[in-house]
Amino acid sequence: MEDNYNYFVAAAVIAAKLNEATKVAKNLSLTASNARAVALRAGEGAAGFKPLTEFIDRLAHVTIISSREINTLAANLSKMAANKFRADSAISRFNIVYKKAAQSEHIHSLDESYTRTKLHQSELSNGYSKQLLKLISELEQLKDELRTAVILATLSRVEASQAGDSFQEQLNNVAENVEVSAGQIKEYLTSSLQLVGILEQEST
Amino acid sequence: MKTFKIFENDTHQWIVIGRDPDKPNLIIDTNQYIVITKDNCLLMDPGGIELFSAMLATVIKLIPVEQITHLFASHQDPDIISSLGLWDQALNNATLHSPWLWEGFIRHFGMENIKFNGIPDEGNCLKLDGASLTFFPAHYLHSSGNFNVYDPEAKILMSGDIGAAIEAADAPMFVDNFEEHTRKMEMFHRRWMPSNKAKNDWVARARQLDIDMMCPQHGRIFKGDDVKRFLDWFEELEVGILEQKSEE
Ligand SMILES: [Fe+2]
Ligand SMILES: [Fe+2]
Repeated sequence: MEDNYNYFVAAAVIAAKLNEATKVAKNLSLTASNARAVALRAGEGAAGFKPLTEFIDRLAHVTIISSREINTLAANLSKMAANKFRADSAISRFNIVYKKAAQSEHIHSLDESYTRTKLHQSELSNGYSKQLLKLISELEQLKDELRTAVILATLSRVEASQAGDSFQEQLNNVAENVEVSAGQIKEYLTSSLQLVGILEQEST
Repeated sequence: MKTFKIFENDTHQWIVIGRDPDKPNLIIDTNQYIVITKDNCLLMDPGGIELFSAMLATVIKLIPVEQITHLFASHQDPDIISSLGLWDQALNNATLHSPWLWEGFIRHFGMENIKFNGIPDEGNCLKLDGASLTFFPAHYLHSSGNFNVYDPEAKILMSGDIGAAIEAADAPMFVDNFEEHTRKMEMFHRRWMPSNKAKNDWVARARQLDIDMMCPQHGRIFKGDDVKRFLDWFEELEVGILEQKSEE
């Protein structure tokens, strides 16, 4: 279904997905501060866990900032796309006029408007392509960042296994949360990157 | 744009979208209402071209675009439905419900994909999954072909331009001081509403409805006793008047 989207719908869908990603990242950040509290209580038994929580927190932070940024970029793109659609349809209507009124004495009085709209259209087009490239690189960067999540989860499990019995389960939960959250965010990013294809068709 | 959920039960919810901080200055601020059911969504008075992107982005945060299956335009005004040409590109499977009177006019906004369902003068009913919505006649208030949307379960009347107020774009969503609020409504109703007869007929019919919230397209929502206060105020008001500047 999603690959049938019109291009300005696709951009709005990306914005919405990143909005969801921000929510998950906020949860991840909560997980990190909970984990820190657990690690403190566990004391020596979970000494290795504390630095990990800082990494988790940093990952959450980066994700929040960058998904907000992508969200804004995508919303912008959707707006530009709608404007571009208006410019595109004006141009195609001007072209019809040129054909239909070719014999008209005043046909060339349209030239200035045509040139102006063409210029506007190409400005929008360029701006659109630039923003799109930025969007793609932001999406890919964030996806890269999230690779560390797998490592963090694994390390967290190792640390958990060394902690005392009473904390082991809680720390395992932290690992689990990191894994699940990162997985969800990655899914939003992957499906956003798929939608980018629709946006790219429009920028040519 | 901001969203506020104003009603929810197990079959549907009502959401108001408005107070757009990025709205260009000279554009009148509008409230958009949506009803979301299990598989469908009705977008009421979706607004102008300038608002389109912000609206689409907001709605898509709530539901997938393919769930937008119904649009409603209370009348033909640009602040109501000039975004139609863009929605028409965005939606593959949607129906626009609007007064039959305006079909030939509204199509000028561009409509190739969306189906048109003309509402007869006496109004009718739209069933969406478990929800049942009534198109309630409000002709000449202000447009000569005009409907409100009434939801007997939610006890909500979406009243379009009736009850509209002109005020700051960041005003609260609900009326808090009715007396004060009338000052922001008076000119709008006197000038835009052309007929006392149509107005009084509407007031009489609206009094028969059980209304908890009356939701206009501009300004604030009336709640509880303020609904009755509005009906009383509106009944008293002389409309269809172009107020001349007094020459003193
Ligand atoms: Fe109107
Ligand atoms: Fe209006």
